[in-house]
Amino acid sequence: MKKITISALIALLFASTFAIANEVNVFNARHYKADAELYSKFTNKTGIKVNLINGKSGALEKRIISEGVDSSADLYITADAGRCGAMDAKGTLQGGLTSAAIKAAVPASFRTSKWVGIAKRARIIYYSPERVTGAELSGMTYEGLADPKWKGRLVIRKSSNIYNKSLVASLIKNNGKKATATWAEGVVANMARTPTGNDRAQIMAVAAGEADIAVANTYYLALMLSGKKGAEQQEAAKKVKAFFPNQNDRGTHMNVSCAALVKGAPNKANAVKLVEFLLTPSSQEHFTNNTFEFPMIDGVSPSPLVVNNLGLDFKQDMKTKLASYGKNQAAAVEVMTAAGWK
Amino acid sequence: MPGIYTNVKLGTLLFHVYKADYNMKLNSWYLSSFLISFVVLIPIITVFTSFFENTSNYYEILKNTFLIEYILNSITLLVSVLILTFIFGIGTAYLVSFYKFPGSNFFKWALILSFAVPPYIYAYSLTAFFENYGTAFTILKNLFGDANYNKDIPKFDGMLGAILSISFSLFAYVYILARASFLYQSQNLIDLGKNLGFSKIKSFYKIILPAARPAIVAGLSLVAMETLAEFGAVDFFSINTLTTGIYNSWIYFDDLAFANRISFLLLLFIFSLFILENLSRRKAKYHLNSKGGFKQKEKIKLFGVQAFLAFMFCFIIFFISFLFPLSQMLYWTIKFPENLLDLDIVNLLLNTVYLVTISSFVLLLFSLISNYGNRVSKNKILNFLSTLSISGYAIPGVILAIAFITFIAWFDNSIIKALGLTSIKKIFIGSIFGLVLVYFIRFYSLAFNGIKSGYEKINISVDESAYLLGYSKRKTFTNIHIPFLRNSLIFIIILISLEIIRELPITLILRPFNFETFATTAYISASEDLLEAAAVPSLFLILIASIFIIMTSKYILREKNE
Repeated sequence: MKKITISALIALLFASTFAIANEVNVFNARHYKADAELYSKFTNKTGIKVNLINGKSGALEKRIISEGVDSSADLYITADAGRCGAMDAKGTLQGGLTSAAIKAAVPASFRTSKWVGIAKRARIIYYSPERVTGAELSGMTYEGLADPKWKGRLVIRKSSNIYNKSLVASLIKNNGKKATATWAEGVVANMARTPTGNDRAQIMAVAAGEADIAVANTYYLALMLSGKKGAEQQEAAKKVKAFFPNQNDRGTHMNVSCAALVKGAPNKANAVKLVEFLLTPSSQEHFTNNTFEFPMIDGVSPSPLVVNNLGLDFKQDMKTKLASYGKNQAAAVEVMTAAGWK
Repeated sequence: MPGIYTNVKLGTLLFHVYKADYNMKLNSWYLSSFLISFVVLIPIITVFTSFFENTSNYYEILKNTFLIEYILNSITLLVSVLILTFIFGIGTAYLVSFYKFPGSNFFKWALILSFAVPPYIYAYSLTAFFENYGTAFTILKNLFGDANYNKDIPKFDGMLGAILSISFSLFAYVYILARASFLYQSQNLIDLGKNLGFSKIKSFYKIILPAARPAIVAGLSLVAMETLAEFGAVDFFSINTLTTGIYNSWIYFDDLAFANRISFLLLLFIFSLFILENLSRRKAKYHLNSKGGFKQKEKIKLFGVQAFLAFMFCFIIFFISFLFPLSQMLYWTIKFPENLLDLDIVNLLLNTVYLVTISSFVLLLFSLISNYGNRVSKNKILNFLSTLSISGYAIPGVILAIAFITFIAWFDNSIIKALGLTSIKKIFIGSIFGLVLVYFIRFYSLAFNGIKSGYEKINISVDESAYLLGYSKRKTFTNIHIPFLRNSLIFIIILISLEIIRELPITLILRPFNFETFATTAYISASEDLLEAAAVPSLFLILIASIFIIMTSKYILREKNE
């Protein structure tokens, strides 16, 4: 009896390791409930099972790299173009996301052959209408965040945050490393507090009067306004307004959630199918209504909460290639650290 | 990678030592002890030998500034946590061991419930309550009407948040050990103080505290080890300590050599504490065994203001360490009930049970084998090997996981592939097998020491009598030792379960597809700024851990020497 139990245990241990099926393995750094719902829709439609390993982007990337060509990963899905670009730079991705459906759906600056954007988000400025005048904001740019008039009035996350890294990487791409280093020093001098908390905490700091302007992604305000975070945060969200910077030049910094095709993917064809599925109008609508991101494809409108409160009519930066975020990540970390950005 | 060559060299060396000892017979005890020590030593050796590898130059300057920050932060965190856990742990232990006051019997075991709240869940609660427009804001608004209270609510984030989260979660180590030591202090000592005309406070400083010193040092070194190894809470508050520094330099700088170099520094810290703890424990044992002139002491009954103050001190600590995080998580679960429905609780529970069962089984099996091996062969090398293999507990989980992946990747790329065999990576990385293996390395000392102390209570003459009766070694083991060890075994299983339920970094890095535990679910939601969704798994984790703690309390808190 004992022997049977032991062999059964051992068999169980190995069974989990070697299972072959019609499936696609996703290393997933986006943990929205809405995503899980989309994956089950995909399974219902195609019969392809979606296996998930959730985690933070860094740890997932390391596992893919350590496993090398033997990796079970097919797709790596994360919420930052910089991370997809960095994975590409390390040679862990392969080309193949080039089907007509993908090319037709996604603008060229938002994809490479190895990874594509699946939903857009803008990193914008939030301000307190009580304490910030229209004149002060007029013509405001990311570059303007270093202007001494914001001294003691700005909140932004830590330099280790991936969205900040990509924002700074895009500035390096547009203005050069030297100018961006000076800019980072100006930003640090303007901070109302040592960086702490997530994007939503920055918005709430403006609502609470700790600061006058904050830098955060678009969907956070919509999330707060939706009431999903409770009545207090809904009230707080009404005390801040959104401002889209750089409207008079290249446009507002855009980032994407991206899906990347891993080198050695055992289920490559299924992976491509899943990406195509995520880019269909119904999937895109599901994203916009639940995660409050901007749609990747034309013909789908963002959630009414986003449209009514943030405005839809803004100029997106379609010029800066998102692939540059990955390339300039290291330089971005370097200038922020050198400026004493915690 | 030179690390591995050293591994091989060490193996050969041990083999020679083994051959030189001609008294030994090659038997399964040796093989298993060797195997266990070897497996447990892999991560340590990988870390230590990488210290001399070159790191990439690119970040050299940045790293130097980082390194100082990591060390300073680790020291600030360590010192503050030690001071707080000392005050909380000793204060409560002193009150419940020497005095009777309303609730003293309740607090005696209720205070250890704080173990059920891991530092990262404590961190979520602190943030949830004190953040702008958080729970404190809601309470004030409901009490006093609309106003901007945010400015008046203190913010517990960053370093302060991390210090509080860790202190309230870990003070019970000091409490348990100090209390055990206080209980065994003879009434004679207290009388001595009285005869010398000492006040209560003076007796406490001059007699009680010094006599309990070894136990207190042991408790504090456990706290220190856990603090230095802390990952979840420190990561949540984005504090750069040596441990998160290792993780970040590995992940963001792709610099394993540098990660290993920081690990080396950290391990030096931790090993000094490990040795300190072991030495103190030995002394503590010596104190406990002094039976001559032991007089069971009477607890002093407190009245009036004194009783009230004693009650308040214990209550406040109990409230802040356990009731506060529990209520915050409960409040959120009720406020956002949709998260309760979204969570596949049955599945998470089954996963937890699955991990706990396999890990406990493997850990107990090997601990029994090596303990029994030590007992029947009484060999020094075997003893030495066992001592080495319990060091896994001192290594932070995140380092263990990284070192494990590094080793497997290296082993597979340079040995398995060279031999033309199929890759073994999938057997070890992202599998339950690999996960359990690393749990094994981490928690082996817990199981080994537990069984060892159980064995120490079985006199060797028991074995000899059994042999005289014609019992084989195996029969002695199964029919005599196991029944004797039953209580120790139950206790160890509960401790292992408690550790695995709360474990975060190893599970996070090594778990297979579609496999979550309460801890990973809570962490993932929290890292996506969905603290409300983290509340449900956190709440379940606290409840399950509390049940296990209540089950153990009779072992931890026994008042009479068995």
